[in-house]
Amino acid sequence: MTAASKPVPSPDEVRKAVGHRFPGGVYTVQHWENFLLTECTGAELLPDGMVHPVVLFHLPILGSGASIGEMFALGLAESDSSIGIESYDWEMFKPLFEDTPYTVNGQVLSVERRPTGRRGPHDRIQFQFTVAEADGSLAARTTITWLYGRSGLA
Amino acid sequence: MRVSVGDRIPDWVMESVRPERMRTMAAILRDPNPVHWDRNATAALGLGHRTVNQGPLGLSYMVNMLHAWAGPGCITRLYMTFPLAVLDGDHITAQGVVTAVRDEGGERFADCDVWLAREGSSHPLEGKAVVRLPS
Repeated sequence: MTAASKPVPSPDEVRKAVGHRFPGGVYTVQHWENFLLTECTGAELLPDGMVHPVVLFHLPILGSGASIGEMFALGLAESDSSIGIESYDWEMFKPLFEDTPYTVNGQVLSVERRPTGRRGPHDRIQFQFTVAEADGSLAARTTITWLYGRSGLA
Repeated sequence: MRVSVGDRIPDWVMESVRPERMRTMAAILRDPNPVHWDRNATAALGLGHRTVNQGPLGLSYMVNMLHAWAGPGCITRLYMTFPLAVLDGDHITAQGVVTAVRDEGGERFADCDVWLAREGSSHPLEGKAVVRLPS
């Protein structure tokens, strides 16, 4: 998507995303990936192959078969730089480890049109992902809440 | 580990947020948002010629603070809001305070308020954490 703005979609058009399920899949964090991510946080590697929790942003997204670009598109974003973060909620039931396959699923939970706000008019869109071990037990659940700016409504 | 309500969690400091780390993150995350890797894009948004740190990276400073305090794997929940952008070159300090201590299922947990501090600014990130305390 380019930075060029698009027409503002109607609330009903954006709400069509609610209930959308990503394909789901299996994701394994490899050592090189954990090494680079951990270095980005300014921390030392965690012991015994434990993965830095910062993976709980991209592991659910990529593991569920989604992408950040697809999530922007599902919310009919007007540009790649029009998205703001409201919140991330990371529930960690067990530590995650390198070289361990995790089953990941994700969906769009809700969409809400907000005509005003500190960031101006926007759509508040929530995504939720689950990360499970091979035996099906839940290792983590993440909820992403992004704000899709609608500058055309300002 | 003895923990009481009102205890301050030891600060964790990121001396300078580095743009090359944002670029590495963007590549791994496959994040197309140019504000994380193109200073011209941030300038066009009126944020100056400094790239915007990814939200998860700011959140990770909080993780590092809590791990240094209660040990790796101690966090059971982290909820974070993002009132302001963290920019490349920022000097950032992760801080927190214990708001409750409770027993649950034979384990002890601390509820904490956590935030990132930046001189001359209100908190760019604010949130809550639940930490499993070591015995």
